Amino acid sequence: MRFLKEARYSLHVAFHPFDGFWDLKYENKGKLRIALVILLAVTVTMILKRQYAGYVVNFNHPLELNSFDELKYIVLPFLLWCVANWSLTTLMDGEGKFQEIVIATGYAMLPLILIYLPNMLLSNVITLREASFYYLLEFAATLWFVWLLFIGTMTVHQYTVTKTIMTMLLTVVVMGVIIFLGLLFFSLIQQIVSFVYTIYQELSLRA
Amino acid sequence: MIIKRAILLLAAVLLFACLSPKLAYASPYEGYTYSYWGEAVHSPIAYLPSKSITGQQLGIGPWRSPADLFAGLDGHLYVLDSGNGRIVVLDSNWEVVRQIKGFQNNGKQDGFNNPEGLFVTESGHIFVADTENRRVIELDSSGAFVREIFAPKSEVISSNFEYFPRKVIVDKAGRIYVVARGVFEGIIEFDSEGGFTGYMGTNRVRFDPVDLFWKTVSTKEQREKLIRFVPIEFNNVDVDRDGFIFTTTADKQTLAPVKKLNPAGIDVIRLNGNIGPVGDLSSNRSAFIDIDVSGNGVYRTLDSTRGRIFTYNEDGSLLYVFGKLGNQQGTFKNPVAVESYGNRVFVLDRDQGKITEFTATKFGSLVNEANGLYSIGKHDDAAKLWKEVLRLDANYEMAYIGMGKSMLRQGEYRQAMTFLKLGNDRVYYSKALTKYRREFMREHFGIYMTVLIPLILIVIVVRRSMRHRKGELKQDAVSQGG
Repeated sequence: MRFLKEARYSLHVAFHPFDGFWDLKYENKGKLRIALVILLAVTVTMILKRQYAGYVVNFNHPLELNSFDELKYIVLPFLLWCVANWSLTTLMDGEGKFQEIVIATGYAMLPLILIYLPNMLLSNVITLREASFYYLLEFAATLWFVWLLFIGTMTVHQYTVTKTIMTMLLTVVVMGVIIFLGLLFFSLIQQIVSFVYTIYQELSLRA
Repeated sequence: MIIKRAILLLAAVLLFACLSPKLAYASPYEGYTYSYWGEAVHSPIAYLPSKSITGQQLGIGPWRSPADLFAGLDGHLYVLDSGNGRIVVLDSNWEVVRQIKGFQNNGKQDGFNNPEGLFVTESGHIFVADTENRRVIELDSSGAFVREIFAPKSEVISSNFEYFPRKVIVDKAGRIYVVARGVFEGIIEFDSEGGFTGYMGTNRVRFDPVDLFWKTVSTKEQREKLIRFVPIEFNNVDVDRDGFIFTTTADKQTLAPVKKLNPAGIDVIRLNGNIGPVGDLSSNRSAFIDIDVSGNGVYRTLDSTRGRIFTYNEDGSLLYVFGKLGNQQGTFKNPVAVESYGNRVFVLDRDQGKITEFTATKFGSLVNEANGLYSIGKHDDAAKLWKEVLRLDANYEMAYIGMGKSMLRQGEYRQAMTFLKLGNDRVYYSKALTKYRREFMREHFGIYMTVLIPLILIVIVVRRSMRHRKGELKQDAVSQGG
């Protein structure tokens, strides 16, 4: 029952973002588990969408579908966003804690489920001529998501409008930097490992 | 008893397995097509090499670097034996009908000098692009000299123009089209009298922003060393019965190596949307060196990169691929010309001085026939054949589309949708869906509405009563608090 109430609250956030995100931060109404459930639900939605969206709008090669890809396209960007946003806002006088950022970002993703799921069902009965409605709805979902993310960031960190926009853009840049560092790190590790392995081989063959 | 019977049955099965007819793996190459996703998909072999012949076997001496081949309307095969400067005419039984080694030109003996192109009109007149002599020769059906056409003369052509005609075709109206070496302006067009009328069907210059950038930043000296931006020259032509001219371009960069020019010189080739007629979809692209148009808008291109013959229908869909470079029977060293007559395809190999004949297999002739019916709009007749094709090759997308379209016309929308989806034709799938949806709604609208309307009513009533009760509770609270 409590879980249902919390879930209902996420709908309230989606439709009344200013009020919703305020309560989320200052009335402790946002729950981490709900945010994580939404993240999971978005992942599942995207998997379903890739597989079951109507044929006229579905250009995925069935043999190349892989559910684990969604980790790469949704869960990883989500985590990257949260980490990048947190590392950035600690330097830019943001008031948000890491958990609050995760919760706000999670709640902001709700429109993706709300629109993508019915849209997926709709796409099975539309023709090529009506496909633009599908794309319009999809665009609306993205717009709504970005809007919620914007309000969420603004409320969580208590920023002004321009500072929020700046922060969000910088966060994307920082995400790129993190990816770069990660790749660099792994490539170096790989080289070290192969170096050590070569030395081991050399020694074991000589001995 | 049961065991005995089982053993007998097994023996019978094994015996039949041994007796089963020789399969297509006798072929030196594999059959394949490209799927909607651009993946090479195995396919039965459509054409198998049946015969090959050289000049020695005919008893007329070896062919020396033969350059062109032409299959006449009567089934005669004209071979342009460039190295020996002669034309060899074979009948359909591979017997030499005649050899044209030279002709009387105004009382003088004249001959060819390294000719590269050959064309035979419906009336049997032979046109030869006599390359090194810089002229086009017309001979009548008996091989007697009719006329010669020299380099085009016009104000638009500069005086130092070097004219080396390589290929020649003649359309129904007698207009002569010549592809010449190093001419980037397009095909040279002569009227039936042999007078120059103009160029047609120029290849566009490719525009590349990156090149443009380097051009703007480089110095004049550097610029002069860069590649010049000129249109790509055509390397071969063919003409179909309706007067459309098909051209090929050997450039590996272009995405439109095949063009279908209407009499005004405008490219009207039909593409099926995703992949045009470009040959193999690999990083080392195909280079087309000859094209042959057969009936119903089907055209075959000869690829010099891998020695393959790609056959496309009028929509630009790949029907089948055969041929290969190699040393076996049915493979080529340096294929230069492709021609077809009926269900047979001839390929001329320049280095080997050999013609290889390919005959359609059951699969090949089924596809040809089905595609023929399909292209003239007889979808229902075609569907029966497409069904046969699918029995031989369940990956053949064209067949699914053909059957889907037929079902769409017969009003079996649901099934049409299934087939069109298998064939990956979104446009026709969408058409079938529209029809199916309408039919479905017409049948089931009543049921859905009888369920939906009461449901909506119930929801409204329940909500209203709940709100009513809430209001009462609130009033109670107020009255109690007060």
